[in-house]
Amino acid sequence: MANRTKPARADGCIIGAGASGAAVAKVLTENGVKVVGLEKGPWRGRETFGGDELANINRYNLWPDPLLNPRTTRAAAHEKPRMELFCPVPQMVGGGTVHWQGWLPRFTPNDFRLRTVAGELKGASLADWPITYDELEPYYAKVEWAFGVSGQAGANRFEGPRSKRYPCPPLPVSRYAEKFHKGCEALGWNSFPTPQAALSRALNGRRPTVISAFAQQHGDPTGTRSSALNVFVPDALKTGRFDLRPDAYVRELTLDSSGKIKSAIYEDAEGDLIEQEADLFFLACGAVESARLLLLSKSGRFPRGLANGSDLVGRNVTFHEYSAAVGIFEDPIYAWAGGGYVGASSFQFYEHNPSRGFVSGGHIACAGVGIPLPINWRLPDAPAWGAAAKQNDRDNFNHSMAVAMVLHDMPRHENRVELDDEVEDAWGLPVARITTSVHENDLRQGRFLIDRGADILEAAGAKRVQKVYAERVTGNCSHQHGTARMGDDPSTSVLNRWCRAHEVDNLYVVDGAPFPTGTGANPTLTIMANAWRVAEKVVERRGAIG
Amino acid sequence: MNEVSAPPFEDLSADALTAPEETIIVSKQTFFDAHQRATIEAAMARIIPTDQEPGAREAGTIDFVDRYLSGIEFIYAKPDGSGFETLTGKRAEAWRGRVEILRKTYVDGIAALDVLSRETFGTEFKTLDERRQDEALLRLARKEAQASGAQDEGPALQQTLTETELSFVPLLAMHTRQGFYADPIYGGNRDQIGWKVIGFPGPSSLLEVFTGRYSALPWFAEGEEQKYLEANRGE
Repeated sequence: MANRTKPARADGCIIGAGASGAAVAKVLTENGVKVVGLEKGPWRGRETFGGDELANINRYNLWPDPLLNPRTTRAAAHEKPRMELFCPVPQMVGGGTVHWQGWLPRFTPNDFRLRTVAGELKGASLADWPITYDELEPYYAKVEWAFGVSGQAGANRFEGPRSKRYPCPPLPVSRYAEKFHKGCEALGWNSFPTPQAALSRALNGRRPTVISAFAQQHGDPTGTRSSALNVFVPDALKTGRFDLRPDAYVRELTLDSSGKIKSAIYEDAEGDLIEQEADLFFLACGAVESARLLLLSKSGRFPRGLANGSDLVGRNVTFHEYSAAVGIFEDPIYAWAGGGYVGASSFQFYEHNPSRGFVSGGHIACAGVGIPLPINWRLPDAPAWGAAAKQNDRDNFNHSMAVAMVLHDMPRHENRVELDDEVEDAWGLPVARITTSVHENDLRQGRFLIDRGADILEAAGAKRVQKVYAERVTGNCSHQHGTARMGDDPSTSVLNRWCRAHEVDNLYVVDGAPFPTGTGANPTLTIMANAWRVAEKVVERRGAIG
Repeated sequence: MNEVSAPPFEDLSADALTAPEETIIVSKQTFFDAHQRATIEAAMARIIPTDQEPGAREAGTIDFVDRYLSGIEFIYAKPDGSGFETLTGKRAEAWRGRVEILRKTYVDGIAALDVLSRETFGTEFKTLDERRQDEALLRLARKEAQASGAQDEGPALQQTLTETELSFVPLLAMHTRQGFYADPIYGGNRDQIGWKVIGFPGPSSLLEVFTGRYSALPWFAEGEEQKYLEANRGE
């Protein structure tokens, strides 16, 4: 281990340079705060991304390599955990926004008060958020405009009031989106163009997005998609106050004598350990890894992990689940065009409705069946090989589409992220062990949403429809939330309403970890809006807190 | 890597991770011997058979997998299609370990396939007729599924599959699909045969995607391409 000069103390230290970390970096640095960003993974430019399904999906070009970054999972505490590529999100500058297609709907006002709306649900730990839709609304608008979202204001009948329209009109209409709209219309259900993290028109000096077939799960070689890498990171760098250090793997947060965080200890690419001191620390590693870092940071004061006197860190984790009804159409619909996710949605079954016999609901939307090719996904009943498999690919590749759901899985006290007792990553640190069991509500809600997806396909004229019900939570959405709930009561939450730890004055968690409930919608717009809200508050109170 | 390997690494032979590179990875573009290659080529031709249109044999999926197993020099194509990435550090270490596991799955799988073929039909797999080859693959797949607790078939619509955990027949099927449909730069999908069979108007090369020239707009709804181009004229 070489001796390095200790870097200068920073005003703020952000750990993780994905959606939330980059949003905080932008807001802080644009308001005069000097920030160091420590990102575990590499800082890759667009010249390292390409239209290569084999590399991107099968060979971990973007996802964490499970031999280096394993996770373990189990359904209950008495089970032996097994290795799984659970909930993979790229670990690099840009994080999940590098591999996504970027569906960016807003949460609805009731999402922030589900416990009040739905009441108690046995076996679940439902909670209201400490903030309301109205408090977050201005930040939704800020992110939509600064980040660059294409959509149609007012088209989602279930959306809360908005202060501004979208900066860009919706992306072009795909043939599969057309089917989705047609099916919804026939059923009398509301549908709308999915708001997406791409520009349909030039905005803020950026050009309109290139519409390829390699988008969902692929990095963007053209740099025209809206991502943390393309937008918020450059915004922060422009200020000259953002010192972003890739390949900086934070192993531990240390405390000073007053119980505040003194420093982050990180390992750089050469394997050297470096100590970074700062006034304020922002965890933005994603809900799983942020919880893991807290749990790794044990001390005399916090023997169970930092800010974890309550034993709540890692608990109430939610992951959504992706599943779908799949339909075959007589006419070609090319559900690979645009990457398979451009984009029609419905919130018709999103809001809680007690007559359905389960709590809450979820976002349903059209999607492709491949990403884009039939390498990794195939139709639910298709054989894996042989003459019939080939015939199936040939007949259906251009004729099949999915109506997918974002399952709103219920938070549970016993569903949690912990440190694994045995398995370590390639850096010698215990990996995240995820214990997650489905609630009966998840199964019922999932079946209902998939059934409605099938209704849409049938109403749109599909000649054959199949349903794939979700039977467990596999992490296949790459969404993660909970693990460090925000709330007003320190006995039931880890963070306060400003996402500052109840137990540690200079610690903020700004990714999906603060979400008390996962909701039924894609989380990243809300993650960024919330991070912006927190960062603005920090700027406002900086003297007092620092 | 730690001295004391945690469970995920126990399956890798310690040698695979620590032995000097040159003893493990022979720098050539193929892995199989002639018999293994002929066996896998024949088996792949049953995974995606030739019918009125070309199949795995014509697409060269055997070249795809033989090259994949040859080492770690053909793991990631450069995104502009100009060659392949050189892997270093932990990434290279992980890939060496992974390729070792896959090689073993193939070598053992080919041996098992021949044993089964001889026991059932009296001769090695590659000389069987197609119907018997199908039968041999089916029987081996069933045996493997029993042995592995049938974890091999991931749930439908599941996007995350870990190759190192697959048994031989599911791995072979997956690699055949990969070799048929992945970008031709990896050695399969020769002349975009796989794409032609399913009607995917793919890019002429990785470079076309890389430069942003490849557009899927012509396959959007009627009139959408024109509207998009007109709205963004000059951008």
